[in-house]
Amino acid sequence: MASPEVSAQARPDAGAPEVGPIRATRVGGSTALVARVVGLTFSVGIAMLVFTIINSNFARTGNLIEVVRAMSSLGLMALGLTLLIVVGELDLSVGATYGLAAMLMGKVWLAGVPFPLALAIGLGTGAAVGFVNAALTLGVGMPSFIATLATLNVAQGLTLWISNAQSIAPAFATPAPPKWQLGWFSAIGATILPFTIPIQVAWLVVLAVVVGYVLHRSLFGFRLFAIGGNLEAARAAKLPVTRYKFVTFVLCGTLAALAGILDFSFLSSTDPNAGSSLLFPVFAAVVIGGASLSGGRGLIIGTVLGALLLETLTNGLSIIGVGSYGQLIFVGAAIAGAVALDRWTAARSGGVRRLVGWRLKRDSV
Amino acid sequence: MATETRLRLTISEVTRTFGDTHALRGISLAAFGGEVLGVAGPNGAGKTTLMRIIAGEDSADSGTIALDDAPLSEADASRLVSVVHQEVQLFPNLTVADNLVVQRDGSATSRRPRPGRTELAMLKELGIDRYARSELGTCSLVVQQLTEIARVLLHEDAAKIFLFDEPNSALTDAESRELFARVVKLKEEGKIVVLVTHRLRELVEHADRVVVIRDGLCAATLEKGTLSEPAVARELVVGAAAESDVRLQGPARQAKWEWSVERWTHPSRVFADVGLGVRAGEIVGIVGVEGSGARELLRSLAGVEHASGRVHFRDGTTKQARIGFLPAERTHSLFPNFSVARNLTSRLGRGDIASGLGRLRVRRLNGIAEQLRERFHVRCRSVAQLVTGLSGGNQQKVAIAAALAARPTLLVLEEPTRGVDVGAKSEIYRLLGGFAQTGGAVVALCTEVPEVFELCNRVVVVDEGRIRADLDVGAFPDVTALAERLATLTESAV
Repeated sequence: MASPEVSAQARPDAGAPEVGPIRATRVGGSTALVARVVGLTFSVGIAMLVFTIINSNFARTGNLIEVVRAMSSLGLMALGLTLLIVVGELDLSVGATYGLAAMLMGKVWLAGVPFPLALAIGLGTGAAVGFVNAALTLGVGMPSFIATLATLNVAQGLTLWISNAQSIAPAFATPAPPKWQLGWFSAIGATILPFTIPIQVAWLVVLAVVVGYVLHRSLFGFRLFAIGGNLEAARAAKLPVTRYKFVTFVLCGTLAALAGILDFSFLSSTDPNAGSSLLFPVFAAVVIGGASLSGGRGLIIGTVLGALLLETLTNGLSIIGVGSYGQLIFVGAAIAGAVALDRWTAARSGGVRRLVGWRLKRDSV
Repeated sequence: MATETRLRLTISEVTRTFGDTHALRGISLAAFGGEVLGVAGPNGAGKTTLMRIIAGEDSADSGTIALDDAPLSEADASRLVSVVHQEVQLFPNLTVADNLVVQRDGSATSRRPRPGRTELAMLKELGIDRYARSELGTCSLVVQQLTEIARVLLHEDAAKIFLFDEPNSALTDAESRELFARVVKLKEEGKIVVLVTHRLRELVEHADRVVVIRDGLCAATLEKGTLSEPAVARELVVGAAAESDVRLQGPARQAKWEWSVERWTHPSRVFADVGLGVRAGEIVGIVGVEGSGARELLRSLAGVEHASGRVHFRDGTTKQARIGFLPAERTHSLFPNFSVARNLTSRLGRGDIASGLGRLRVRRLNGIAEQLRERFHVRCRSVAQLVTGLSGGNQQKVAIAAALAARPTLLVLEEPTRGVDVGAKSEIYRLLGGFAQTGGAVVALCTEVPEVFELCNRVVVVDEGRIRADLDVGAFPDVTALAERLATLTESAV
């Protein structure tokens, strides 16, 4: 009875009122995030320019495509993690899930399970890890940092156990799986599409669009931002907090599993330690992309650009001859630089001051 | 003992502004050693701000604070002023005893301070010595408040000014008596004691003089001779309610409950066996001092706090989803990362702002937001603006509009106008009245009598976990009469 007339009038067929130029208020979008995207694009551009000047091999089409292909698994994991960070939770187990999903899929497949079913089992592994993370966090009530630290170890241990610490390469296994199954296996991650585009790039682009749509254009995403922005208020508004967080944990685990399986397919082998080195770059990509670890803020395009920046640095630095130690230093500096820049722009745009003022008002009047 | 050289705290022309809210508008008052100065005032009058400024926790925009003619600097204040805060400001991760020594002087290389005999004696005196080794955060609110009091009392030798800001909101009567015995002792030692409280009986019993603060100014001073509960109650509501306002007619007493609870009991019996109902079109106020169970009762009605008992909707359903809830603090009701539009529509779902499949309809969302903004008179540059940029009153209107947009049958509000200026207050009352007139039911926790008078059709007084009275607000000719009646009701309990 509060406002049935409001929603009635708001129906477009009832002639939605033209209320002047509404600037679409993108969910969680703000000038600071727009600045972040512009800044990231510039950073990637400048990095590419510098690498090209130092060594023109960097700018070869083949290499640029390789940069995007190599970032795809990082990007896929970062997409899921962005959802989770927006809703105010963390997942440290993404790297371990990546390794476990690939290894388990490979093992059951080589044990005679047909490939499509093995693939489903692999993806299901990711969903299962996400489910356990969600159960520990939401059911038992642990902080997600602790819960996922635990599942990280369990998943890593399981991977080593089922693989006996050996890497596997299905094509060379005895007995080798049937030809058609091997064909399917390499098709999902190693196909070259027209214009010499690797299929992993397509996976990333398609899923980035889908996840971006979910986060920025769906009711689900809208509520993720609300829950992450103010859990208390979300509870007071009776939003489905637990259910939405649960789904997000599962999505995050599933995307990590998919990334592991696609890399397995591309490399046609997987290593029990695969993925363990991916955890920090994944977080770095999300944070560089503008998400706030305290929740309520994040941007899919930012995350993708963050992953691109990291991969550009890694690839470019190795082309110009900086070793892996030096690469780590640069990547670390990039993380600190991006976040410092963000603080600076936020302070200048008054966002921080406004928030502080808001608290002051509440506390003292 | 301190007759000739009585301490004197002089506050003159102090102002303090937060954004566009004038918390203090040039307040002047004096407090003397050897007396207890009571401070009363409606919420948002500036009491807490004034206490914070005296304690050096906040600084005035203009005006001076002097102790015996010498200006009181912030450094002096931290040494000379001791505060028992309304909300305990201690370290929840330390033990009760360690909390008493944590502020002890020393350099970084000093030995770890250990609670000594004095600290333990103080804890014993306040009756909480058996909690000395318990982590403060795990203790009850009572123990926390007593720890804060112990900390302040231990500071006694150095400090000359003691500020008690609602010191006993969580204490039982026996504990309160203990506390006030200490207060009297401080006064007899010649210290300056300032007591801020909502409990009028305590002001009358323990204060030598009471100043009433309204709208950031000292509105009245009541000396011992004129000091009485009704007198303070009258001063608190002067000019608060416009008599000319046409008051809404509530539904008839015989009308059926839209929604009701029976034998409604809190798990730790903060309230027990409460029966309460709301009719369609009615606004019911719940009043009761902190610790009476009123707040818990209200929150349990909204389903955000546990309670057991029987719940009835008129149409036989028990759907929680039809109850809208708005917490007191805007930090618990708004999304600071969202624009005004997103906040306004945050409680809507499929059919309103999203398609059946869950696709967000941004244009419709903005259209609804624009209409809500107009209907609820939210003043902002654009609905695309961040909600944190709005004034307190407008933020509250956004929160209420968001709750009403979800079309609840029953709206439960915890202090609907906390931290809101006068103009926005009456607008909020009008909006809620409008909701009731279209058949909505409202329950609101009120902490101010004028709010009950202006907003509610009926008021329920909660005391010690029971409903003490159920009054028709319309039966009172003016706000003063209501204030006097409520003052006698809440205080007669003991």
